[in-house]
Amino acid sequence: MLKKCKMKSRIKIALFSGALIALLPNISYSQENFYAGKTVTLVATTAPGGTGDLRVRGMAPFFNKYLPGNPTVVIEYISGGGGRKGANHLYNNVRPDGLTIGAMSGGVVGLAMMGEIGVKYDPAKFIYLGTPHHINHAVIYTRADLGLNTVEKLRARPGIRIGGQEIGHVSYTAGRLLAYFLDMKDPKFIVGYSSREVDVALMTGELDGRANSPTSALRRNPEWLEKGIMNWHAILEAPKGKTFPRLEHLPEIETFTRTAGEKRLLSLWRSLRSVGSPYILPPGTSKEIVQTLSAAMVKIFKDPAFPPYYQKLVAEEVSPLNADELTKIVTETPRDEETLSLLKKFAGAGSLPSR
Amino acid sequence: MEISLIDAAAQGFLNILHLHVFLAMLVGVSIGTFTAVAPQGLGMPLVYAIMLPVVIRWEPVTGIALLIGASSVSAVCAAYLPVLFGIPGGAGSQATILDGYPMGQRGEARRALGASFMAGGMGALIGTFTLALAIPAARPLIYLMGSPELFVVVLWGLSMVAVLAGRRPLKGLIAAAFGLLLATIGQQEQSGIMRYVFDEPYLLDGISISIIALALFGIPAALDLALKRLGVDQQPAPLTGKLFDGVKDTLREWWLVVRCSFIGVWVGIVPGIGSQVVDWLAYGHAAQSSKDGGAAFGTGDVRGVIAPESANDAKDGGDLVTTLLLGFPQGVVTALFIVALLAWGYLPGPEMLKKSPELVYSVVWIQGISAIIGTMVGFVLANQLAKLAQVRYSIMVPIIFLFVLMGSFSVTRDAADLLTLVVFGIVGYFMRRFGYPRPAMILGLVLGSLMERYLYRSMASYGFSWLTRPAVVVLLLLAATSFFFAVRGRMKTMPKSAASGGPALAG
Repeated sequence: MLKKCKMKSRIKIALFSGALIALLPNISYSQENFYAGKTVTLVATTAPGGTGDLRVRGMAPFFNKYLPGNPTVVIEYISGGGGRKGANHLYNNVRPDGLTIGAMSGGVVGLAMMGEIGVKYDPAKFIYLGTPHHINHAVIYTRADLGLNTVEKLRARPGIRIGGQEIGHVSYTAGRLLAYFLDMKDPKFIVGYSSREVDVALMTGELDGRANSPTSALRRNPEWLEKGIMNWHAILEAPKGKTFPRLEHLPEIETFTRTAGEKRLLSLWRSLRSVGSPYILPPGTSKEIVQTLSAAMVKIFKDPAFPPYYQKLVAEEVSPLNADELTKIVTETPRDEETLSLLKKFAGAGSLPSR
Repeated sequence: MEISLIDAAAQGFLNILHLHVFLAMLVGVSIGTFTAVAPQGLGMPLVYAIMLPVVIRWEPVTGIALLIGASSVSAVCAAYLPVLFGIPGGAGSQATILDGYPMGQRGEARRALGASFMAGGMGALIGTFTLALAIPAARPLIYLMGSPELFVVVLWGLSMVAVLAGRRPLKGLIAAAFGLLLATIGQQEQSGIMRYVFDEPYLLDGISISIIALALFGIPAALDLALKRLGVDQQPAPLTGKLFDGVKDTLREWWLVVRCSFIGVWVGIVPGIGSQVVDWLAYGHAAQSSKDGGAAFGTGDVRGVIAPESANDAKDGGDLVTTLLLGFPQGVVTALFIVALLAWGYLPGPEMLKKSPELVYSVVWIQGISAIIGTMVGFVLANQLAKLAQVRYSIMVPIIFLFVLMGSFSVTRDAADLLTLVVFGIVGYFMRRFGYPRPAMILGLVLGSLMERYLYRSMASYGFSWLTRPAVVVLLLLAATSFFFAVRGRMKTMPKSAASGGPALAG
């Protein structure tokens, strides 16, 4: 009797296991089935053309390659407001069905945290899939003919004219942070230039210095370092500790901080910059879809064909972060009011706060 | 080993003498022509962005042939929308509407298109020729123009309101002031202050000039046809002029073509001015410098087509001077071209000129040859395109509305674009009806933000001392002289042209 019962329960277990095994391929099949023949839209918060667009185009064919079922991948451009328009659209209008993915500019997180106008989304509720790059250093330099080849000389010279794009732009805020920690005397921040126009204005003597991404600066004007046309003063690493080749000799700006509050300010800045160009999903997307898309991102980043393709197209090094790493950065970004309001002062137009 | 520029030019030419290079150039020219002729929405930046992942896998000269082939002809063929439908054919072809559309309505579409293609082709060749000559000497020219000089140039441009206002100077000033006011919408670059944004994300970056231009010119044109012609006269004026008439007009006005081409080249070379100004500057110059004080401009004067088209096409050569020799792109298209060059391992700028001058000259050759092919394609298409002017108004009106709607929606793909279109379409209709010159408003809108930017930069960098810079003084004198003669010419001709002068300008 006991044997019979054992036999029956074994048969039940076997049948159950068989059914489970039979079902497993169906689950993966259903994933494949879900995307097969469908169109995935990447909502880019940039205008067609330009580096932001190329970053998305550098990823698009790999989404097609690694999403199960190889769906068609198209790009929809919703530019404006430094990414706010696209983020608002993704948060408020897009169905969380896994067929629309946000290809955001990194600013969308910072703009929301600093309470800028026009933000109608909560970055904490977005689902982060990863980013193809997250290293965003900034370096400050002045014209060599000014003779400011030491930090002391830089500090002694009043009214240095630092060029930038616009109030609140990444390189403008980075420039103000660098000038602040270097104790520059009454620096003048002059905006309204395109990035390349700042270079021209430096060469004509209209401006004295600027802050810029070291990658862009040295790609465009390698002779500025090689021939000593500019004096290079300090670097603001984001993330900290990833030194920039050829500029390892520069002091990292944190070495000039004096208080814990100043360190927190830099930490906040580094976090916001390390978000890179995140791929995100609207809140409410099912876990199954999130897992599928996160797995596809991991495969993209592991594909040896991805870095050379992306680098060739965007002229920028790949430094990917997966979903967990990116989510960690966003969730662990310091959000204390004091630090946020201090950062707002650097992103704004007023004079620099006193130390 | 460095080679002489003449050897480099010869080597650059030899490099393009391959079948695959010519095929790539022809494909590029076809794509560029299609982009210009297709309804609005497929701009060259998007075309470049689509082509880039493909061409960076090719060898450089073939890839360059495709890219430059496409961009060099897109401007050559851009005049058909303004001439046939009265709507802007993209940045750089807005001013062509003022005289091109009245010519089209008079049945002279073939002549207008012939003039535009010929002027465009000549402009492109002058631009290319300048590019070739500028290779050893472009840098000082670029570094001569700082923010103070650019401010004076923009101020000079704004003085053209005197011409664009037609017979109604006060209304012209009001329209220009309205344009300047519209230019202030959005976040101010210098202070970060939000102006007239009302917490509305759509207004953060201001309102697109392309949408306003489409609305101001396209909607009134369609409404005008719908209200005045549909019920009475179903057929437009028969085609009278010939394509060759336009060619002859252009050859007769060769000196105007040369002058306007140099305006185009100059706008292309100097960083920051942008393509949206080039046609207006050339148009204003043509009207200001005409012996009749520009009285016939705006009524269908072929010079009003020749001037903006030659400048717009010559600008591409100027753009390439800055892009290739300094590595400074003048817009999205040249920025993407630089990305392609970087992907092929070339660093645009002095280093590229030193290490690979033959490649720089290959670009020059491709630019020139593509412009010639593009012009010929334009002539072939012109006769067929001109027939669109004979389409019945009942069909034409929906076509214009369709183009205008597609064009406006393509700018940011925001539903609010359509609302903006309707609002400014109504504004444009009433401006036209009550004689407020729309070109003056567009000029104010285009130049407003530039003026504010350059003035701020000049004051912030130099204080008031920028007013004493020699180049500023010379430019101010030139601007004042030009303004004086324009106003004097206008006053002289005003009584004669009072009955017919410039309805398009005036409204």
